[in-house]
Amino acid sequence: MDERYQQAIRYWTLAQPIVSAYVAAVVRDFRDRDDVLQEISVAVLEAFPAYDPARPFTAWAMGIARNQIGTYLRERKRNRLVFDAETVDLLAVAFEQLDSAQSRQLDFLQDCLAKLEGRARQLCELRYQNDLKPAAIGSLLNMTPNTVAKSLQRIRDQLRQCIERHAAREGGQP
Amino acid sequence: MIPSPSERINGYLDDVLTADQQAELSAWIKAKPEHARIFAEAILLHDRLRNTLGTDGVPNAIHLSTTIESPRGWLANLWSMSSFVRASAAAAVLVFGLMALWFTIVTPTASAAIRELDRIIVNSMRTNDRTFEIVVEEITTERRGKRSPRPETQRPPKPPLDEATLYVRAGNQFVLMAKLQDGLPFVTGSNGQQSWAVNPRGPVKVSDDVNEFNRDLPGHESSVPLTNLHDGLEQLKVAYDLTFAALGPEEYQAEDGHVTQLIAVKKPKERGPQRVEIVYDGATGGILRMRFIQMPYGPDRLDLRLSLVSEEELPSDFFQHTSHHTPDRKVEVEN
Repeated sequence: MDERYQQAIRYWTLAQPIVSAYVAAVVRDFRDRDDVLQEISVAVLEAFPAYDPARPFTAWAMGIARNQIGTYLRERKRNRLVFDAETVDLLAVAFEQLDSAQSRQLDFLQDCLAKLEGRARQLCELRYQNDLKPAAIGSLLNMTPNTVAKSLQRIRDQLRQCIERHAAREGGQP
Repeated sequence: MIPSPSERINGYLDDVLTADQQAELSAWIKAKPEHARIFAEAILLHDRLRNTLGTDGVPNAIHLSTTIESPRGWLANLWSMSSFVRASAAAAVLVFGLMALWFTIVTPTASAAIRELDRIIVNSMRTNDRTFEIVVEEITTERRGKRSPRPETQRPPKPPLDEATLYVRAGNQFVLMAKLQDGLPFVTGSNGQQSWAVNPRGPVKVSDDVNEFNRDLPGHESSVPLTNLHDGLEQLKVAYDLTFAALGPEEYQAEDGHVTQLIAVKKPKERGPQRVEIVYDGATGGILRMRFIQMPYGPDRLDLRLSLVSEEELPSDFFQHTSHHTPDRKVEVEN
C-alpha cells in the first residue's frame, strides 16, 4: 500500500476521537452521529492528497468535519438544533485545542468501567449501551428521572477522577 | 437555586434540557473559551463512553453500507491494512467498514445481534400492553400413522389461530380471541393468577393453574411463549444463533427505511421454532412483527406471523374472564 495512505490512516487514527466528540457535541442522536462521522471519515481520506503536512492534521480534519456537520444540519433542517452557528464554531476551536494526550488518557476508561458495580454499572449500560434517557431508565428501575440524571452525573464524575488518577500514576500513558 | 454549569452540561449529555436551558448553556459556552474547553472535555468522555459501551463499532459497519453507494478509488486499498486496526477501536470501525464496502458484504457479529436483542428486550419492557394480529402462513402436520405418544396429541384439537388476536400484558397476562372452525368465537386467557377459557358452548372454565389453558397458544411447549414477550426473547439469546438479515427493498421502503431484521436460528438439540424473524424499528428497538417458522403446536408445525397492532393500554379488568362473557354464564373452577 502507498505510504501516503498509510500515513493518512495513522493521522486519522489519532485525530478521530476528537473529531468524533465534536460531532457528538452537535449531533445529538447517536445513530446520526455515527452516520455523520462515517461521512467525515471518507471525506478526510478522500481529501488527504490535498493535505499540507505543515498544518496540524486534527485542525485540518476538523475543518472537514465542520463542513460535513454544516451540510447535515442544513439537510435535516433540524428543529432540535441546540447550538447556533457561533457556538458550533466556538466548540470546533475548543476541540481543536484539546491536547491529544487528553484523548489518550481516556484509554484508561476501560479499567475504570471495570470497577463500576451494581446499580452504577446498570445505569451506565442502560444509558450508553441501550441508549435510554433518564426517564426511560427511571421507569425500568423504579427511580425518578431526576435521581437517574443525578446518578449518571455522579458516575461520570467518578470515572473522570478515576481516569485522572490512573494518568497521574502512569504518566498519562495507558 | 441556580443550577451549576456542570448540571447543565450533564443535562445536555443526557438530552434532558429544555430549550431555555439549552440556550443558557449555549450562552455560557460563548462567555469564555475556558467554558467551551470544559464542555468539550465533558463531551470527550461522554463520546468515549458511548463508543466503549455502545456499539463496539459493528453498527457503524452496517451504516457504512447504507450511506456509501460504491467504493471510491484508493480507499479500497485499506483492505490490506489490518495492522492499523489495533490502533484504536474507532479506527477499526472505519477500516472494517471500508472492507465491508469493498467486498459489498456486511457481516455483523453475533455479539452485535445479541446487543440488538438486548435493546429489543429493554424496549419491550417500556410498554405493558400490546395487541398482535396472528396470521398462520403454513401448517405442517406430523405424518399419519406415526402417532406421537406426547400428551399434546391426546387432547382436544387446538383452536385455529389464523386471524386470531392476541393481547398480552406484562406479568404473564394474555387474552387470545380466535374463531373455531364453525365461526363461533373462542376466548382464552390469564390474569397472571388464574387461567380461563370461554368456549361458545358449555361452562366458562377457570383454573388456578396459570398454564392450564395456555396450550391453546403455541410456544409454551418450547419455552418461547407468545404470552410473555420478555421470556420468549430471553430464550432466543440462550437457544438460538442470532444474526441480522436485510429486508426486501419493497418491504424496506414500505417501512420508511427505519426497520431492521434480526434472525434467530435454533441451535441443534434445542426446542422451539426452527427460526424466528424479528422486524423492529431500528431507532427505538420496538418490535413491529415477528415470524415463527416451524413452531410446534400440538402435532402440527406452524409458520405464523405476529404483527403489532397497538400498544394502547387496555382496561384494567381486560384480562379477567368476566370481561369476556355475560354474567349469566356458568363458571366451572378446575383444580
